[in-house]
Amino acid sequence: MIIDVNACLGHYPFRALRHNTAETMLALMDRNGIDRAVVSSLHAVFYRDAHRGNEELHAATRAHGGRFIPVATANPRYVGWERDLAEAVERWKMKAVALVPEHHGYSLNDEHGRAVLKRIAELGVPVALMQRFEDRRQRHAWDRAEDLTPPALLEAARAFPTLKFLLLNWLGLDGPRMVEAGLKGRCLVDFARMQVVYRKDVPRLIETLGVEALAFGTHAPFDYVAPSLIKLANVELLRPADREAIAWKNAARFLGLE
Amino acid sequence: MSLSRRRFLGAAAAGLGAAGLAATPVSAAAGTGATVAGARGPGGLPADWRAQRKFDVHNHVFLSGRRGASDWTDVDHLIEAAGVLGIERLYCSRPITAGVMANIEAVREVNDTVIAAMRRHPRQIFGYCFVQPGTGPAALAEIDRCLDAGMIGIKLYNQFKYTDPAVYPIAEKCIQRGIPFLGHSAYLTDPKTLALQPKTSHALDFCALSQRYPELILIMGHVNGGGDWEWAIKGLRECRNVYLDTSGSVLEEGTIESCVRQLGHERVLFATDATMEGCVGKMLSAELTAAQREDIFWRNFQRILDRRRA
Repeated sequence: MIIDVNACLGHYPFRALRHNTAETMLALMDRNGIDRAVVSSLHAVFYRDAHRGNEELHAATRAHGGRFIPVATANPRYVGWERDLAEAVERWKMKAVALVPEHHGYSLNDEHGRAVLKRIAELGVPVALMQRFEDRRQRHAWDRAEDLTPPALLEAARAFPTLKFLLLNWLGLDGPRMVEAGLKGRCLVDFARMQVVYRKDVPRLIETLGVEALAFGTHAPFDYVAPSLIKLANVELLRPADREAIAWKNAARFLGLE
Repeated sequence: MSLSRRRFLGAAAAGLGAAGLAATPVSAAAGTGATVAGARGPGGLPADWRAQRKFDVHNHVFLSGRRGASDWTDVDHLIEAAGVLGIERLYCSRPITAGVMANIEAVREVNDTVIAAMRRHPRQIFGYCFVQPGTGPAALAEIDRCLDAGMIGIKLYNQFKYTDPAVYPIAEKCIQRGIPFLGHSAYLTDPKTLALQPKTSHALDFCALSQRYPELILIMGHVNGGGDWEWAIKGLRECRNVYLDTSGSVLEEGTIESCVRQLGHERVLFATDATMEGCVGKMLSAELTAAQREDIFWRNFQRILDRRRA
């Protein structure tokens, strides 16, 4: 069993993506032995009204049973966001809430960020934070988003001590500082941008946060899938229980999946 | 839980016999021209992914520095990782980066560490000679010294644009010795990054150098090393003498297929530039025929090496 915690559906304005509809993503998953995928809507990042992206995501994924685990996207600067968020989480049972503060024009720790983090904590679901969608060195002239930074993450973690954090596509996380900020036991980090074999990103995080903090993620459809399969193949040889934890059990527990 | 690197990778390498090297033979579709990924093993990877022969034509030694002549930590980690990933040969350099105009003594010092790594792992590590064109005739003498020590080519970083006349004698030396010229590259669209690397060459700079020296074996480094890779590939379409390596930390889907579609697979060379599992993975995910994958993984570079003159 493999659950991919880092995937998206929809178009990205600055590059053509393949495998970005529910059907083509499922085919990609099937070719690569991936059973389920946690997906958010790229349209929700770029539409003025993010919730229209949530509606599309709900419609596109509900026909596929449990293969997709949809994640809502909230924009706390848009009118009516609390009601929309409640619809996504309470009515549609979306398992986490993605925030894209760089794209929606606020920061995690300003009044908008604090308000939405507070509401997500009240709803009892994790917040999903993508550090970046693509490398800034190749950015389109209209792409002004900077990467989310570890200091901003740690500040938010300290401010909301019960909130769970799903950290996607991150690099440069400092395990001891995350422990210090109280994130041990309430974060799940995907290894899409980290290394297992040569550089020690994943083993180092396991040493400080525990194996329960790591999860399989691909960043599909932006990135190729096999790099993450290779990481899993080498984690697998560490200890079978750890391989299962990273492949799917951690994600299932963290997101409350059946 | 204590998770030492040695234990972690030791366990991985111990699994090779069962999971890789002794496993399934090369896909039955090899050489047939069919676009296949080969037989899939558990976990979605081709069953023979480790056993597929691979030459990493762009890597480095002592990327994380070196604490004295007895410090082999970085090199030993590199060799361990290559073993886990089934990479047979590593073609490595140690460039002086950050735009530093190093003098010839500093250049010799870094090349000496590459030579030492080659001697420690003579069947796995092969060297590129780093030179800084601004050192003039001393750079040419350094190339001869490196080749005499067994290196196979030269590596330039971003101290000079490759259209700068200071680079021409280096290119002429490469032609004379029949060796490849591997160049750092990026088409940087982020103003902050560009300001830090104003002399980084991009595809059109490589084209200009290739047009001046059509017989030069010129390799544009790391298509996914940062910068607009779609621009980079398109920029090379008209420059048929320029190769492109697949390395870099960006793992974006479609890169390899785009290289093959627009340049032809014979111009594409497998490399990692230290993103080792990521770049092996890109090749395994890419929609290629088995024959194309084999050419890119190692055969295209072997053909380049076979062109070297004594």
